[in-house]
Amino acid sequence: MGDLFAAPRGWLESFGEIVKFSSRVLADVANLKVFKYFGETLRQAGILIISSTLVIWGLVFIIGLQCGIEGAYFDQSTGTPAYAGVFAAWCDLRELVPLCFGYMMAAKVGTGIVAEIGSMRISEEIDALEVMGISGITFLCATRLVASMLVLPFVYLCSIGAGFFASYLAVVQQIGDVSSGGYFLIFWEFQNPPDVLFSLIKAMAMAVVIVLVGCYYGYNASGGPVGVGTATAKSMVFNIVSVHLISMLGTQLFWGTNPRAPIGG
Amino acid sequence: MVILTGRTIVSAVTPPYSYGAEFTGQFLFALRLCWFPLLVSTVAFGYEAPGLQAANFLVLFGALDRLGGFFVLASIREFAPFVDAIVLAGVAGTAITADLGARRIREELDALEVLGVDPIKNLVVPRFLALMLVTGLFDIYALLFGVFGGVLATLVNHEPLGPFWATFFNNASTTDLWGSVVKTTLFGAIIAVVCCYKGMTARGGAEGVGRAVNQAVVIAFLAIFAFNYVFTQVLLATHPELTTIVR
Repeated sequence: MGDLFAAPRGWLESFGEIVKFSSRVLADVANLKVFKYFGETLRQAGILIISSTLVIWGLVFIIGLQCGIEGAYFDQSTGTPAYAGVFAAWCDLRELVPLCFGYMMAAKVGTGIVAEIGSMRISEEIDALEVMGISGITFLCATRLVASMLVLPFVYLCSIGAGFFASYLAVVQQIGDVSSGGYFLIFWEFQNPPDVLFSLIKAMAMAVVIVLVGCYYGYNASGGPVGVGTATAKSMVFNIVSVHLISMLGTQLFWGTNPRAPIGG
Repeated sequence: MVILTGRTIVSAVTPPYSYGAEFTGQFLFALRLCWFPLLVSTVAFGYEAPGLQAANFLVLFGALDRLGGFFVLASIREFAPFVDAIVLAGVAGTAITADLGARRIREELDALEVLGVDPIKNLVVPRFLALMLVTGLFDIYALLFGVFGGVLATLVNHEPLGPFWATFFNNASTTDLWGSVVKTTLFGAIIAVVCCYKGMTARGGAEGVGRAVNQAVVIAFLAIFAFNYVFTQVLLATHPELTTIVR
């Protein structure tokens, strides 16, 4: 039984370490030290765009299809197929697009950062940086954080678009119980600009946590090639749990007391 | 990966069945690693997505008692399997890739082959079977805690729980349950094959193992989601009685 609780206790400890590490990274961003390395920041942003955006959009596209068919069949069962747009709008914008964005960020970007920085740590490149008088945290972690903040809002907005397009395909083209115009009437009626903003805030909170966690596990990797693999796996555990928690808190905060729907008074 | 799947299945059913001990070990390993993340994730997910949002919608119509019926659709059919698979891929899958990748890098796998021990029979098959079983069983666990999230959402709205359970059990059908368990068992197979393949083909030192884990989890996620879409579509289209909501 003691064995069973060993892992959660370990995570609590590393949670504290991660908060400490993150505050150092955030301090570097806040006192603008990171802009000494603006070139590196732009390079990281470029890498992020080229290597990760398509995968993220792909996953969000599939989940959009999923929301579409679930919504269409659900509304069939209540005898209101014309209202499939409600389900699609809420499912996409409020819940599953942010969540899937978080999953794919954790899988692609988070573990990627751990693998990259971790192998730098193992091959003692970070020590070399510090000998040359460059702070590893600023140069490696803070630049990545700023780069992701530059790029990800736009990636996220596009992925909302991908999710909407996929839901439209599933509901209107594939199942076909509702006309295109009828679908869009309901679909746009049940969302408004603040919803997009809230959804964006949720996703960006996830992205910041994922990048920081990735940097922490990479920066503190030890124990040779095996260590990098283990660190990558550990970062994934932490990220999955935190993505769900952030998503839940965001929903409670933004929509918990106010459904923001055009029904009733 | 397809070749690895084929060889794994053939190797699993042909005697000798020498992988019993390793199978138990892997099963317990996955169980120990996953139970806590899965608990947190499913309660959070059940509370927020189907719980709060659907409750918001139903409260507007004063029909919160229908939330139970919605939970059959949302939690059993869709979200419990899906969160289950994501957590298993992210937690147990990455651990498997890291483990096998490390063995490949340290040339332990080559050593095994030289000794005449078949790595597929002794390493991949037990992981494959253990992950299938664990993912299928964890589906029930995820489902229970997902529904617990729904109960929380009902309580937050100050509604009695009686109508929730009434509509829940009115709508719950055996087809939904076995569909859910079969789906997650197949998810487990996908996760195991992808993660074992990526671990066993890792190369290039320290960065190689990290990159293998990275690719494994990305491919596993994409494969799970794509498979989920096809499976749901087939299940709903072939069992139209599932989509009828009982009052």
